[in-house]
Amino acid sequence: MSGAMDEAKVGVYVCHCGGNISDVVDVKAVAAELGKHPQVAISKEFAFMCSDAGQKLVIEDIKSGKINRVVVAACSPALHELTFRKALQRADLNPYLYEHVNIREQVSWVHKGDHDAATRKATSLTRAGVEKILRQDRLESIHVGAAKRVLIVGGGPAGLKAALDSAARGLKVTLVEKSGRLGGHLHEFDTVYPGGQSASELLGKLLSAVSANPAITVVLGAEVKTWDGFVGNFKAVLSTGDAVNAGAVIMATGYRHTAPSAGEYRFGKDDRVITLPALIEQMKAAPRGPLTRGGRAVRSVAFIHCVGSRQIEGVHAPQEDGKVNDYCSRVCCTAALHTINALKERQSDLAIYDLYRDIRTYGRGHEAIYEQASKNGVLFFRFTEEAQPEIRESSVVVKDVLTWNQEVELPADLVVLVTGVKPGEVAELTAMMKLPTGSDRFLQEAHPKLRPVEVANNGFFLAGACQAPMDLVESAAAAGAAASKVAAVLSKDFITLDPYVARVDAEKCTGCEACLPECAYTGALFMNGSKKAEVNAALCKGCGACVAVCEPRALDLAGWSLDQMEAMVDAMASEVAP
Amino acid sequence: MKAHTLVIGAGIAGLQAALDLAEQGRQVVLVEKNPSIGGRMISLSKVYPTLDCASCITTPRMASVAHHPLIHTLTYTEVLGVAKNEDGTFRAHLRKKPRYIEEDKCIGCKRCEEVCPVYIRDDFEHQLGAKKAISIPFTNAIPQFPVLEPQSCTWCGACANACPVDCIDFTQESRDLFVEVDAVLLATGFQLTPIDAKAQYGGGKLRNVISSLQGERLLAPHGPYGRVLRPSDGKVPDSIAFVQCAGSRDASLGVPYCSRVCCMYAIKQAMLLSGSLPTADITIYYMDIRAFGKGYEAFYQNAKAMGINFVKAKVGRIREIEDGNLALRIERQEGTAQPEEAQHDLVILSLGLTPQWNPGQLAWEVKTASDGFVATPGAPLDPAATTQDGVFACGTATGPKDIVDSIMEAGNAATEVGKRLEIRAPMVPGGAS
Ligand SMILES: Cc1cc2nc3c(=O)[nH]c(=O)nc-3n(C[C@H](O)[C@H](O)[C@H](O)COP(=O)(O)OP(=O)(O)OC[C@H]3O[C@@H](n4cnc5c(N)ncnc54)[C@H](O)[C@@H]3O)c2cc1C
Ligand SMILES: Cc1cc2nc3c(=O)[nH]c(=O)nc-3n(C[C@H](O)[C@H](O)[C@H](O)COP(=O)(O)OP(=O)(O)OC[C@H]3O[C@@H](n4cnc5c(N)ncnc54)[C@H](O)[C@@H]3O)c2cc1C
Repeated sequence: MSGAMDEAKVGVYVCHCGGNISDVVDVKAVAAELGKHPQVAISKEFAFMCSDAGQKLVIEDIKSGKINRVVVAACSPALHELTFRKALQRADLNPYLYEHVNIREQVSWVHKGDHDAATRKATSLTRAGVEKILRQDRLESIHVGAAKRVLIVGGGPAGLKAALDSAARGLKVTLVEKSGRLGGHLHEFDTVYPGGQSASELLGKLLSAVSANPAITVVLGAEVKTWDGFVGNFKAVLSTGDAVNAGAVIMATGYRHTAPSAGEYRFGKDDRVITLPALIEQMKAAPRGPLTRGGRAVRSVAFIHCVGSRQIEGVHAPQEDGKVNDYCSRVCCTAALHTINALKERQSDLAIYDLYRDIRTYGRGHEAIYEQASKNGVLFFRFTEEAQPEIRESSVVVKDVLTWNQEVELPADLVVLVTGVKPGEVAELTAMMKLPTGSDRFLQEAHPKLRPVEVANNGFFLAGACQAPMDLVESAAAAGAAASKVAAVLSKDFITLDPYVARVDAEKCTGCEACLPECAYTGALFMNGSKKAEVNAALCKGCGACVAVCEPRALDLAGWSLDQMEAMVDAMASEVAP
Repeated sequence: MKAHTLVIGAGIAGLQAALDLAEQGRQVVLVEKNPSIGGRMISLSKVYPTLDCASCITTPRMASVAHHPLIHTLTYTEVLGVAKNEDGTFRAHLRKKPRYIEEDKCIGCKRCEEVCPVYIRDDFEHQLGAKKAISIPFTNAIPQFPVLEPQSCTWCGACANACPVDCIDFTQESRDLFVEVDAVLLATGFQLTPIDAKAQYGGGKLRNVISSLQGERLLAPHGPYGRVLRPSDGKVPDSIAFVQCAGSRDASLGVPYCSRVCCMYAIKQAMLLSGSLPTADITIYYMDIRAFGKGYEAFYQNAKAMGINFVKAKVGRIREIEDGNLALRIERQEGTAQPEEAQHDLVILSLGLTPQWNPGQLAWEVKTASDGFVATPGAPLDPAATTQDGVFACGTATGPKDIVDSIMEAGNAATEVGKRLEIRAPMVPGGAS
């Protein structure tokens, strides 16, 4: 190692992040300070290191032989570590001879008030980065083979489209559906907004394409029971006993309707009060003629929006887990208005009152549905979360902010609660697959802007309403996007993984087995024939739990070795010493 | 030139689709009419709902595209025509506009820009700032080549003298290119409704009435003034109003639909403004707040908690009073009944989104719908297909939408293109086809 250190020439690049960093940190001072390090050959600052020009700086310095290790002090590595590793690769340097130091989230954004201290901290962190990379070995990424099969969990519209898309790309598909039939919520609708197509026709097309496709194996009434493996080689056993070996997984477990809480708007107590999905079901079952309730004709209907959505703590009863649903359910406004227009078409003299907080007909063709409802004579009333409508004997009372908080009493033979959506029942799955969920309990994407269908866990992708409420257009887009990512992962002959895994120095290993119980990943760490610990690099997640208990220091983490950590701590500690 | 796919437009949708296809081993020609890739997103300040700085998250995508061995990017290039051949392939006629520099020589050193004596309005800053008649379009533009604006250039020769590699070429002409592809993907994006479309708001006349994209630039880390100042006199504004639906949900403007992103970007800009001007009063005049996406409602509620005023009202007329300040005639839709006048010293109009390019002008079968955006007859289940077999569309080319929804559609479009290629140009094991 000392041999490698002698010839190591580090390039340090301090990023302004267009003011995000340089407004607080004296980036010139940081670069100057680091330039004094004996093994730092180049130390510069630059406006946007991530820009093409910034990357070019690094590449040219490598190519001209001035440096052979790189430290960039910039934003979070989550954003740009990969960017620079790729730049190193383009300069024919081992991409793991790179260290990304975060002086934005960890310095400039949190120490706005104290420029001197922020500059010192940035210098100290960057110096630690230099010490770390000086002790870095030339790591190589790990290659694993990939099963050319994708497992899709959930057979709603999103799962069906993802299955067809994946099969069309030459992959084998196993589609697991918990219920006894494919189609998810598409079964519930008569026609769908915004285009008004027949839901059963849309579903029919999907189903016949799926059943005609020999590459797709559908398993109905089944769930994933056991889970193992890693990207390229996941192993699932289904409740039917079927074993599935898949290279990637698409989650398409969709949503559930929220139920009004006990007594909310007299739901469950007053049989005039029903939910929107119940009304849609009733209309689908009896597609023509006037609406009836308990055998009697309905002459007036009041719709109340945002039941189970946009809830406010203290105002609404919490869900089972103690939290309120504070999100907007996205689909309900347009779904309600689409249903209202269908009602008006059957029964033009029906009086309809729409009680809302905001009308969110945001999508292509949605506003026209709202317009149509107004033209159809629907009357709109706006209430605030503090003053919710009240259900009376044969009417609804609303404090209407549109008419200066007048209390209006509206006759209502039927009250329709526009309920929201919550994620499908996936607690067991997420625990088993170790998948992240957000505070809204939906499955969590890798980045809410840039990576909506990817998951932080390698090999998992999201399609449709399991990630967030969305309509069919959006669910179809998400499904196609997930299929695109899967095609990219599985189109190559092998999958590339980062080399940050545990490794064993067999000479030091005493075979004490203290590490074995610490490993949480089946098969990742085991005793080999010569009674020494051994690591399966494809299964190891690099958590370091084994390293912590290894007394002879035989175990270490590649890229995060104990040596490196010590040198980093020393670098930072020497800074504060007088 | 031959490739699997032609992607038209290098905004976030086109970039993502090109990357997805290239990651699947497909050759892409990406054509962009502007001098840099990145589209609208690269000019935004921060993006809702994460408040990531737009530059920070767009540049890596731009760089990955620029460096991908399977993506051939043509910037400053226009599409003159696309014709379908007998065998189902497409032949695209492109025209590369002259930058008046030799691209293979230029090193992006900016010496030309430094010595140029002519200042012109900066389109990237939406007219709020100035740039030189020869300049690199913006800090993190890709590629880092300067562009010379021939209408403004005085042909003084200063740039040519200063250029260390002798790459300025005043005689450069446009160059025509032809590309043969199996599929075409439209990602041609949006533009804002004209600022003066609603005369009563004074946009284009009153200097302190600005567009939402100008608002983005005022707040961007590399913006025209480096901080938030109002255009008329450089004063730090302390009462700012947003007028929502200033170009949408209004049949009289030909935009009856909702532009989908304005509620959220106004809330975002309001939050950023209140961050940089803590004592300023900020008011959003709105019809409905449409915070429908993942995490958006919480974003809206945070803005309310930060003290941003949300007023459900129609804004009738904006006129200038003394010192460039503005008086807005508003009709509240809650609270009082009387029309009233509110005063602000900067007004940001949340203009609507309309298509940037009409593909119907080419001689092919691609049609637009009544809203002017590319028609997608396969929706809801096949939202990327257009009226012409082999041509697909995604992002704001098919209607207003935000970044995350554009990215999802881009991924889906890559799948649909990929499915077509699977039939027309099957992959052979090992990658190439
Ligand atoms: C009242 C209402 C009306 C609507 N109307 C429209 C409309 O008119 N137009 C429109 O575009 N959109 C509409 N939508 C939205 C539409 O329903 C969704 O976009 C669509 O159903 C989402 O599809 P999905 O496949 O993601 O989820 P889902 O339809 O929910 O399907 C998920 C599937 O996964 C299965 N599953 C769940 N958990 C598991 C598990 N653990 N293992 C195996 N399988 C599992 C479920 O059984 C189900 O079959 C409406 C929504 C609501 C609430
Ligand atoms: C003021 C404002 C603020 C916003 N803030 C946010 C935000 O915070 N978060 C968020 O999620 N979204 C935001 N958005 C929305 C966001 O800008 C869009 O979702 C996104 O830019 C759409 O990307 P796109 O690729 O579809 O289109 P564009 O960004 O418009 O890209 C289209 C590209 O195609 C090129 N092009 C067009 N026609 C041709 C042609 N004929 N030939 C070649 N090239 C062509 C254009 O030059 C352009 O580069 C905001 C929008 C506005 C107006």
